[in-house]
Amino acid sequence: MSTKSVMSAVSAPLAQPAASPAKHEAALSSASAAFGLAAAIAILFNTLLAWVKDAYDPLNTAMARLTGHHWITHGLLDLAVFVVLGAVFLRNGIAARTSPNQLALQIVGAVILGGAGLAAWFVLV
Amino acid sequence: MSDIILFAHPTFGVLGILAAVWVFAETLNATPENAARIRWAAFAVTACIVFAWILGGFWYVNYYYADKAIILKGPWPWAHDFFMETKEHLFFIPLLLALYLPIAAGNKLFASRGARNLVLSLAALIVLNGLAIEGAGAIINYGVKVAYTHPGQVKGAE
Repeated sequence: MSTKSVMSAVSAPLAQPAASPAKHEAALSSASAAFGLAAAIAILFNTLLAWVKDAYDPLNTAMARLTGHHWITHGLLDLAVFVVLGAVFLRNGIAARTSPNQLALQIVGAVILGGAGLAAWFVLV
Repeated sequence: MSDIILFAHPTFGVLGILAAVWVFAETLNATPENAARIRWAAFAVTACIVFAWILGGFWYVNYYYADKAIILKGPWPWAHDFFMETKEHLFFIPLLLALYLPIAAGNKLFASRGARNLVLSLAALIVLNGLAIEGAGAIINYGVKVAYTHPGQVKGAE
């Protein structure tokens, strides 16, 4: 398969317009809307999981037992949340109602909350 | 081998940051002509950040415990307690953003201001998070160095 055909195969599903985009914004592809919302949630999940495993040692131990290190399990769970939620949102079209600017704000908000939440936790605890 | 991995980790991180700056600049000037280039740059961000994750993760899981013990006995224990603890979890944020970036860059950016704003936001967040993580890495590294260069302040050295 040529490089050009790989690129077009990857981008082809992304070119489909969202099912019901907000009126005031040009549509994002369904995949962009779905996986954008999934990324915002996965970022918040990452911080929440860091708090919970740090506060509750049995969870940390269980995560370490699962893959050999709690950090590996943590990363794989983040990726699983991103991929699974993205696939679910893509299927049911929930995120398609979000405009690109709203999605950008949601992601920026999630990064600020998630990052500040991590820093605050490790300062205070 | 451990040192090669240790240096390759921030190198790929910096390359990922540079590629995200590339995406940002191309998106500011999005046209039908540079649409494919933006997608390639977005894939470059993903590849670099994923390599940084795998290499850094391998080093962290297999070698970091020795440096951690040195840092915690030195005068800068917070280089681990705050900077490493935060960095190891903060890293997942640019990783998720980098995985999502090629999907967002697959839109017709030249035709949608909102889609451009989304990609610009993602690229900027990857750059800012990446710089913060690179800085934290430097402080953690110095936490080891300062334990050796100020042995009088190392707990238990007396």
